[in-house]
Amino acid sequence: MLEPSLDLYGEAAERVEGLLVDLLTQSRARYALLIDRQGFVILHCRAAWAPKPPSLDSLATLIASNHSANEAIAQLFGEASFRETVQQSDGVGTYVESVGDKALLVTVFDASAPLGKVKLFTKRALERIQAVLDETREAAPMADIGGSFSVHAGALLDELFGDGKTP
Amino acid sequence: MSTINFAAREINFKLVYYGPGLSGKTTNLKQIHAHVPVESKGEMVSLQTEDERTLFFDFLPLDLGKVNGFKTRFHLYTVPGQVFYNASRRLILRGVDGVVFVADSAPNRLRANAESLRNLRENLAEHGLSLGDLPYVIQVNKRDLPDALPVDMIRAVLDPDGGAPLFEAVAQQHVGVIEPLKAVSKLVLEKLAQRA
Repeated sequence: MLEPSLDLYGEAAERVEGLLVDLLTQSRARYALLIDRQGFVILHCRAAWAPKPPSLDSLATLIASNHSANEAIAQLFGEASFRETVQQSDGVGTYVESVGDKALLVTVFDASAPLGKVKLFTKRALERIQAVLDETREAAPMADIGGSFSVHAGALLDELFGDGKTP
Repeated sequence: MSTINFAAREINFKLVYYGPGLSGKTTNLKQIHAHVPVESKGEMVSLQTEDERTLFFDFLPLDLGKVNGFKTRFHLYTVPGQVFYNASRRLILRGVDGVVFVADSAPNRLRANAESLRNLRENLAEHGLSLGDLPYVIQVNKRDLPDALPVDMIRAVLDPDGGAPLFEAVAQQHVGVIEPLKAVSKLVLEKLAQRA
């Protein structure tokens, strides 16, 4: 049995993608990502003018791990988590908000986007994304990928690693 | 826990390399990164201290390709082995699908191996998991040490029932690196098939 990283698919996924695009347009941020708490990218958008992003796998993993570490720090002080996570350098910044208990909304911005604007539109996008997720929660499909998945994936493992022997 | 991302049509698995400090967990990932074809791997991320000890984790994404229309991926992590980084180890085990336990063959590291395994069991329990229910293999590394302990002795300490697949390795020389990765990946897929 596979667990959906987030109950998001079909029309709802398209609506959330639209909200990420709106977020970028309104805040003038570079990238917006919806990632799960394990660090896997669920959806991502890039502003038309933005440079090519770094590896999204690396970015998502580091953001999710950092968020988990921050949560653990908050818990040392008896809090459930920190309300928001902001990181800023001279050139670029990240703003992270929780989407329920399964996902994170990440906005990556540069000096041309004021932090206040990024926060405002990220929070607004978060509310709308949460509303979409609340609407679709009832209709989550069964994560049935068919019994042949493991056989086919196993064959690809054989192809990638050969007979598994290292010299 | 294996996750499916319907929006991006992806299926993701998380594998964690666990073991005592300096047993060779990072070396395993470096060797895998060096030997897997470019199109099947992403960037390797290492969060290290100045003296190249793992501070938080190493990360390497592997892309298996499309299976039944879903992009299938394995995310490989190491944990920091040093005893005092337990909070980090616990975080990294969140959502784990399979574990490679990297044991050290040096005689003076036998106790460290046993303590690390006990620590793994404790940290899994924090996530409501147990080693018995999780795809799990053991890699006995540094078999080239002149005073390497017999494998049977290490197994007797780490896996007295003999239930876990065990592989001998010299990770530094890329010996015995791929076998445990492939074995644990297949166990993860088998478990998925059983649940389906």
